[in-house]
Amino acid sequence: MSKHTLEVLVENSPGVLARVSGLFARRAYNIDALKVGPTENPAISKMEIDVNVEGHALEQVISQLDKLINVISIKEILPTNAKLAPTDTQPDYQN
Amino acid sequence: MSTPNGTSMNGATSLVKSLEAAGVDVMFGIPGGAILPAYDPIFDSSIRHILVRHEQGAGHAATGYAQVSGRAGVCIATSGPGATNLVTPLADAAMDSVPLVAITGQVPSAAIGTDAFQEADIRGITMPFTKHNYLVTDPAEIPRAIAEAFHIATTGRPGPVLVDIAKDALQKETVFNWPTSVSLKGYQPTLAPNAQSISDAAALITQSHRPVFYVGGGVIKANAAKELREIAELLGAPVVTTLMALGSFPYSHPLHMGMPGMHGSVAAVTALQKSDLLITLGARFDDRVTGKLSTFAVNAKVIHCDVDPAEIGKNRFADVPVVGDLKHTLIALIPALKAALAKNRPDLSTWLRQVNNLKSTYPLGYDKPTDGSVSPQYVIERIAKLSAPDSIYVAGVGQHQMWAAQFVPYEHPRTWLNSGGLGTMGYSVPAAMGAKVAAPDTTVWSIDGDGCFQMTNQELVTCALNNIPIKVAIINNESLGMVRQWQTLFYEGRYSNTNLDSKRVPDFPKLADAMGCVGLSCDRPEDVDKTIEKALSINDQPVVVDFRVHRDAMVWPMVAAGTSNDDIMIAREMAPDWDSQEL
Repeated sequence: MSKHTLEVLVENSPGVLARVSGLFARRAYNIDALKVGPTENPAISKMEIDVNVEGHALEQVISQLDKLINVISIKEILPTNAKLAPTDTQPDYQN
Repeated sequence: MSTPNGTSMNGATSLVKSLEAAGVDVMFGIPGGAILPAYDPIFDSSIRHILVRHEQGAGHAATGYAQVSGRAGVCIATSGPGATNLVTPLADAAMDSVPLVAITGQVPSAAIGTDAFQEADIRGITMPFTKHNYLVTDPAEIPRAIAEAFHIATTGRPGPVLVDIAKDALQKETVFNWPTSVSLKGYQPTLAPNAQSISDAAALITQSHRPVFYVGGGVIKANAAKELREIAELLGAPVVTTLMALGSFPYSHPLHMGMPGMHGSVAAVTALQKSDLLITLGARFDDRVTGKLSTFAVNAKVIHCDVDPAEIGKNRFADVPVVGDLKHTLIALIPALKAALAKNRPDLSTWLRQVNNLKSTYPLGYDKPTDGSVSPQYVIERIAKLSAPDSIYVAGVGQHQMWAAQFVPYEHPRTWLNSGGLGTMGYSVPAAMGAKVAAPDTTVWSIDGDGCFQMTNQELVTCALNNIPIKVAIINNESLGMVRQWQTLFYEGRYSNTNLDSKRVPDFPKLADAMGCVGLSCDRPEDVDKTIEKALSINDQPVVVDFRVHRDAMVWPMVAAGTSNDDIMIAREMAPDWDSQEL
């Protein structure tokens, strides 16, 4: 498993949090942390979602999220203080 | 559009004007308290409203209409139980990618959240299986919500959309304002495929020696049957059509290997298993097709063409993903493949000989009962033989569904309707009703089971009263036949709660008669043809035929749930004779 943070811009409409959290629940994706806040545009809110997934699952999470009509964009945030692993030998399961 | 923007009216009239502007010609529904304001302008509308007997019937009828016409089906219900009765058809439509728009009344906005009479949070309930849904409390928002609902339901991967409207929004005065276009920031389905993917796909095809077209329902949704035939004949590779794709490629075509999956043909299942390249068109690697996923087509690379990017890599890694509308995709792929084949045409003759050998060695078949009773497969085979070639068949779920998939030779798209993904018993009668409304001059057969029929047969009243003369063939084996088959195979013949006794009660012909239909019955093989001919001769009333068939007939071939497609059985404890095959 590995941790990823997704920044998701959504329309600020009623029920949008339920749509996102419901999607995670019914597709059995784990949310480690979730933060929702406003943006400069009152019609758009920003969600930051920490997910803990394996391999190809991150692409599935993103694709499924993107199917929600109220989701405008999704990008993965790479931590600013991330130490680049020298190789990919570091086992992911420590996370 | 006849109503000019800027006209004053109440929300209910605005709703009906919006549905007219969206091009709706028919809808299926039942009024009730919260939706009542909408039924007043419906009374004057050009839209034909068909008053059903149960909201589930309205939902499946809208699905049947959509599957035959290719346009969005529309159903309408009141709040609370009216809305929750639409849950099953909405889930069904989501699984089978059916364009559906459901309108529901909601309690007045001030009462929402108070557990008011007939209040149910239908938007919350249907979030998991609608493509999108709305709760409208402001009458000014009604036209936009309706326009968006039709846009979302019918574009990209089609699906159901629900619009829940609070009663006071229907009652309040508003100004009608139909949007000239729909633009949604978070919804821009990809139509044209990426050019690089198309050339990668063409290149991979020319490197393959055992390619198979693995065709799903998406080809029918995209109206791409003509293009499918063109590319299949161009490459000369075998084609398998899933349960949702029957009719997308002619059954009689020499390249057609039949249906893959749990009850697929040996040729189709094995062609996938032994393939080195699955050219996947609008199919989703469903568990009923793949069997145990880790053992599915292990030596095959995958080209996956789908309009829904989330299907790519969901169950099976795609070597070449192609996201786009299938018609656009095939129109781009055909010339690319032509050019690639001109340089390098692989020799597929050995592969074709191998799969054709399986096709001729293991045709679909069945044993005739020795006790003189009627075989269910024979009934379905004869119905297909005696009915006009353009007839439409609508199945319920279970053994009869699989036999209707196996023994009717579907030549054209949109002639086979069934509940493939959700497996909804009770789908057939109301979906056949919707199909007949979409194609009033075509023979529509509901091929139903005695179990399924008892779930939704009340819509025959709707059919009788609204001049919707469908024909229903009840394949009456007095059991929940598919469950019984599993009990035979996996539960030592312990038939717990699968005996329906439906050769005793109900009396189906009498029940049909009571609902304003013609009821017929048949329990001897020699009477099958004349009973079907009698049913075919009646076109001014719905007809119900009680075919009383042998109870122990089973569906074969079979890949048991959770096992590998390599373990396909052609009869009980009988595998194909692999040693005699070159594969």
